[in-house]
Amino acid sequence: MNASAQIEAEGSAASATPVVRVEGITKHFPGVRALDNVTLELHQHEVLGLVGENGSGKSTLLKILAGVTVPDRGRIVVRGKPATYRSVAAALRAGIGMVFQEQALIPNVTVAENILLGAEDNTVRSGVYRWRELNRRAQTQLAKVNAQFEPSALTESLTFAERQLVELAKVLRIEERIGGDPVILLDEPTTVLEREEIETLFTQIDRLRASASIIFVSHRLDEVLRVSDRIYVMRDGRCVAELDPKTSDIHALHLTMVGRGLSDSYYREADQHPPTAAEPRLSVRGLTLPRHYEDVAFDVLPGEVVGIAGVQGSGREDVCRTLFGALAPKAGKILLDGRAVRFTSPAGAVKAGVGYVPAERRLEGIIGPMSVSENMTLAHIWRVMRGLLIDRAGEDRLAREWIDQLSIKVPSHRARAGNLSGGNQQKLSLAKWLISDRLKVLVLDHPTRGLDVGAKAEVYALVRELADRGLAMVLLADTLEETIALSHRIVVMKDGRIVDRIEAPQGAKPSQVTVVEKMV
Amino acid sequence: MLKSTSEASAEVRDSATRVKRAGQERSVILQALFTWMPVLVLVALVVIVSIKNPDFLSKRSLQALTVEAAPLLFLALGQTLVIMIGGIDLSVAALASFASVLLALWLPSLGLAAVLFVLMITTAAGGIQGYIHAKAQVPSFVVTLSGLGIFASAALMASGASTLPVTENLKWLNWMTGMLGPIPRDPLVAVVIVAVIAAGMRWLPIGRYILAIGNSEVAGLLSGIRATKVRIFVFGLSGLSAGLAATLLVAEIQSGAPSLLNALLLPTIAAVVVGGTAITGGSGGLARTMLGVLIISVLRVGIAVMGINPSYEQVVYGAVIIAAVSLTIDRSKIAIVK
Repeated sequence: MNASAQIEAEGSAASATPVVRVEGITKHFPGVRALDNVTLELHQHEVLGLVGENGSGKSTLLKILAGVTVPDRGRIVVRGKPATYRSVAAALRAGIGMVFQEQALIPNVTVAENILLGAEDNTVRSGVYRWRELNRRAQTQLAKVNAQFEPSALTESLTFAERQLVELAKVLRIEERIGGDPVILLDEPTTVLEREEIETLFTQIDRLRASASIIFVSHRLDEVLRVSDRIYVMRDGRCVAELDPKTSDIHALHLTMVGRGLSDSYYREADQHPPTAAEPRLSVRGLTLPRHYEDVAFDVLPGEVVGIAGVQGSGREDVCRTLFGALAPKAGKILLDGRAVRFTSPAGAVKAGVGYVPAERRLEGIIGPMSVSENMTLAHIWRVMRGLLIDRAGEDRLAREWIDQLSIKVPSHRARAGNLSGGNQQKLSLAKWLISDRLKVLVLDHPTRGLDVGAKAEVYALVRELADRGLAMVLLADTLEETIALSHRIVVMKDGRIVDRIEAPQGAKPSQVTVVEKMV
Repeated sequence: MLKSTSEASAEVRDSATRVKRAGQERSVILQALFTWMPVLVLVALVVIVSIKNPDFLSKRSLQALTVEAAPLLFLALGQTLVIMIGGIDLSVAALASFASVLLALWLPSLGLAAVLFVLMITTAAGGIQGYIHAKAQVPSFVVTLSGLGIFASAALMASGASTLPVTENLKWLNWMTGMLGPIPRDPLVAVVIVAVIAAGMRWLPIGRYILAIGNSEVAGLLSGIRATKVRIFVFGLSGLSAGLAATLLVAEIQSGAPSLLNALLLPTIAAVVVGGTAITGGSGGLARTMLGVLIISVLRVGIAVMGINPSYEQVVYGAVIIAAVSLTIDRSKIAIVK
């Protein structure tokens, strides 16, 4: 596109063909509908913010645009032409490049080599680099991002922020290739940056606005509000709203992200009863793991659900992993029924009566090729041992009992666990812990991630019932709404520390805004 | 939460049809073909070989075949479990050769104790390899490739690089050879031990754990399984099976030698994968390996019967491994093939 055409395009922004148009994209993963008929437009020279909670589908959408993932249905129209591509290379040819969340640079070669990786063209003669030409061309790209380092620098000698600039420069090289303005996808580019580095990045984005179209994904809503010209909000695999950052604020954005207001019946709030005893089942005191979390302390009573709220990077995931022995704390202690315990592995935690329902249930919660029975007894095989041997008949009986109790929908207890639907896999992943009468604490890591509404409701009902039976639960929920509705108490974490403890008894639930204010 | 029985059973029926439909999509026929492939291959091989040489199905020939298959079955037993947890043991054949040398050296003076010592040593050797592999996070093929070198050298040093005939104290081994009615004892011993281990896989928790670790190590760990222990156990068992293979072969040919079983490495792996155990771990089993051992043994006889130059034998095993692995591999488990 030449300069005059560009000005023309900007002049008639509303009527102009969008650079990228996503039409009715749908993508299923086994048991999960990640994207459901998503349509959106990216205009020339705009920064489009994309927000949504974990599992809302924004990463999947980005990956489809970048050619990493192929959609089941729908199409992508780039500059008015339908584009079907099935690889990152093909997406680059179409002028779309992505800066990946986990940096994809080769550390032990120079910046120039990284920038021109896969596009060496005439910088290679007879299979040998022409270093001067290589560095010259890399310098052209680095100039676009205003980089202050040499193309001949070793990539691993750069800071993280500098390496991100290299990534950006690498994506920008498609500009020459397609002879037009590129589309740049930025996936959580600020997560690991320091304050000033974020400022530098924003300056870059502002500069790039003149020559590129950008989709910006971030968990930090203030950043999205700051850099975006327009914001799309995603929820449950759909684009649910388009907002103007000028007339919107953090709370409004967050409320749109989490969707419908609190619904008592959906979360069975009426079934939330006070804890069944006053002596804490689980106590955490001064738990510290530098750079993950600091001085974390809270109690969980029998029959109580304690939700930990916090944005990504708040350290709440790491606290839960520690409770289950997958991470070892540097200082502090964990007490079960008042007795200090020390786990060096999940095996120790299981023995002490702590269960863990992982977020990645398909990979971590169940073992797909093994049967429902075998999965159910995997963590507590002693429940079905007779002497040294497994009592297989007894095992099947136990499995049938729990299939019935939790209404797990399976053709038989011998069915492959991998064939169950997401909700039923989650129930199986819970049953695995419930079969033990020694279970004291259950850590629920995003127990409803990727489940449909009906299956979510069943999990909620189950959580209420387990609380009534006196189980102590620690909850990391997918949404804030879920955290507030399910918890008796909410521990708010920010930057690795607990910043507030909010009571959430039945009938007196705090508002989302109250909690969000502490989180961000 | 607790549903009435009728309601629940209606739901179960519902989901049963749904699951069935999903299964049909993945093609039931193809699945069945995969499962029964080793049987078909074995039958086809037997038919081809016996057409070429009708004598193949004679009692004497079949007896010879099974006697020869027995050490291979032992080696493949350990290898199967190792492959099921997603590893590979390249040291089994060399370890077995080393064991044959030790046995030949010690049997005359120590008698039965020599047998027990040798089995203990091979078990420990396997277990140590498993420990290094699991603790230091070194890929099993690297650890066992080094093990192969070490055991091969040890065998050469211990034997003075020569074959050691065994003449005394053979009574401790003789019970394994000869005939029990019409059936040779060597394969009988091997099959009984394999059956015992197979039963253990089914009725002992360790069997579960092996399956779990092989399928998904993270899910296993999060269920409280100690993966390191499982790995040490499996490699220890592989070492034990190498010792058993050596004992059987020494009993049969009444001598030990530093490279006695070395040529069995490729056939061992071939037998496991041709039986249908996926190299990526998790699926397969000992029954499948028994089939695989039969296939490889018939193939061996077939090569001779067809008048193919025996130098090509290893080519055939190599080709069999590549073909079987590419058919059974679980590609979803590998991000990048190295």
